[in-house]
Amino acid sequence: MGLVKLDSIKKIYQDGEISVKALRGIDLEIEEGEFTTVYGPSGSGKTTMLNLVGALDKPSEGTVHINGSIINELDRKGLALMRRDNIGFIFQSYNLIPVLTAYENVEFALKISNGNHENHSRERSIQVLEQVGLGDMLDRRPNELSGGQKQRVAIARALVKEPRLVLADEPTANLDSRTSKEVLEIMLDMNQKLKTTFIFSTHDPMVMEYAGRLLEIRDGRITREERR
Amino acid sequence: MYLPKIAARNLFRRSGRTFIIAGVLAFAIFFAIILETFMAGMMEMSFGNIIDFDSAHIQVARPELFDDNEDPLEHIFTPSEEMMTEIQNLPGYAAATPVLDFSANILAAREEFPVRVRAANPDSFNEVFRYKDHLIEGEFLKKGSSGLIIGINLAEILELEVGDFYTLLFREKGGSLNTIQGEVVGIAATPEPGMNLGTVMIDRSYVTAALGADSTVVNQLKVRMIDRHTAVAQSDNLEQTLTGSLGENAQVNSWREVSDMLVALEVWGQVETYFIVALILLVGAIGIINVVLLSSLERVEEIGMMKAMGLTEVQIVRIFSLEAGGLGVIGGLIGAGLGAAGTYLMVNFGLDLQMLYGEATLEMGIPIMGTMYGVWKPGSFILFFCLAVLVALLSSIIPAYWAARKDPIDAIYHR
Repeated sequence: MGLVKLDSIKKIYQDGEISVKALRGIDLEIEEGEFTTVYGPSGSGKTTMLNLVGALDKPSEGTVHINGSIINELDRKGLALMRRDNIGFIFQSYNLIPVLTAYENVEFALKISNGNHENHSRERSIQVLEQVGLGDMLDRRPNELSGGQKQRVAIARALVKEPRLVLADEPTANLDSRTSKEVLEIMLDMNQKLKTTFIFSTHDPMVMEYAGRLLEIRDGRITREERR
Repeated sequence: MYLPKIAARNLFRRSGRTFIIAGVLAFAIFFAIILETFMAGMMEMSFGNIIDFDSAHIQVARPELFDDNEDPLEHIFTPSEEMMTEIQNLPGYAAATPVLDFSANILAAREEFPVRVRAANPDSFNEVFRYKDHLIEGEFLKKGSSGLIIGINLAEILELEVGDFYTLLFREKGGSLNTIQGEVVGIAATPEPGMNLGTVMIDRSYVTAALGADSTVVNQLKVRMIDRHTAVAQSDNLEQTLTGSLGENAQVNSWREVSDMLVALEVWGQVETYFIVALILLVGAIGIINVVLLSSLERVEEIGMMKAMGLTEVQIVRIFSLEAGGLGVIGGLIGAGLGAAGTYLMVNFGLDLQMLYGEATLEMGIPIMGTMYGVWKPGSFILFFCLAVLVALLSSIIPAYWAARKDPIDAIYHR
């Protein structure tokens, strides 16, 4: 079985008496090391699917397998531990912890995980920040960094614990094209070196250019798939 | 390691809000410490004054003397040699003196005033009490003399001075009325207001004949011990030893049992202190709940990201509770610092009760005149500091759980 497997996934949001079908039956398997991009119009279900793959939510119907575990069966703590041990997140709005420096944001992610770097977390955090080009900005707080720099810190934070899966929701939405290219190159490099699995949700054509596998979602269904 | 760091930095992220809430807690702690200091000082001085001017450390009498409001002359006895030996053999014994109290009216010029007459042995009385040190005019009693010592307030009311004549009108032991006349020989101003108004003193050997009683009779033996704690510990032992020696059971009361009104006042004072502190801490707790809620609303995306990173709800609660605990520590430290400054002033410079309460001081029944000094109570510093931290921690738990249980998706996308 692949690293991620979605079986007949449906997700329905209830808003009072109105039911919104965000996903209408998704079957998908993603192997380790894939560099996958999910695209589609707003409201098509991209982010909903990413949330399910990221163990942030549970499906209304169907089964989500991540790294051999069925997330439907996990309680809130189990989901938290699943995210901590297997998944890294990168969001459009960076979501850095404002009271921590760039270095601390990255090391914090490492410290809370049960990774293999517990005894040399400082070296490992600095190493990853250097890889994303922020070796000279370790002590800067998020409010002292540009948008591109913040996103690099977010990438470093997602990658520092060497997760098997990284989910990136619109990671380039707030970046200019040059910076977007830089951060995509960093992620592609990590993918190739560490065989980390990446799943992107995006509208950005540049992100799609980098993808090894493209999935189009419309109205809660995968309508097109392309491998490169 | 990172959770306390995040909590500490968040405390100073909104420093204005932090110091307002910490200020409320600090005020509660300061207020509690000062009240404790004030009450402890008042009790210390009150008990001291009662011991030095009225009850001594231990009193020995017939049980009825303490139980009813009848004429004290009904409960006289003659102390035996064995009784005096037992008292003198008490561990920690310092001195003892016989006292014969009775009720009378003092007449001077055209005024008449009800008083308690304390007939005392001039020599041994001053070994037990501190009355002589507070004579502001005249001299102390002399054996066999009809001289009277009166308190300063009574002297003012009756317009009596040293050398003026007085008359005491009283009912002797047989029930018939009798009088004693003589000169005022001394005026006393003690720190115990009751003694300045309602008590006069006369030589016991002079007065017993007029009372129709034997010259050896007393109705109380007053005993001074080396300290208060010894007195409390030894009073029960003495009562057991003296059982039967007065014909009936003897009652031995320590200063603490005699001062039951003060003990009740002390308890009420503490209840009052804790009630006021609880009210202020409640305001602080509401403030902390407010701070945690506001803080969690401001940091929704941050909470969402922490949940996405895999922090459990308990870890997120810990961050908010550490922040609240930090508020408690800051408030507690400021409050304890202010409390220490206030206590220093109270201990070294005191507080003039007359200035604070005016003439009402006399009516309050507190046996203190003039300046009252505070007492250091290190235990109350620790107690109230811990209380502030505990209240801060406890009041943060529910809002912290509310924050930690946010749906991670709603939090991340701030929906």
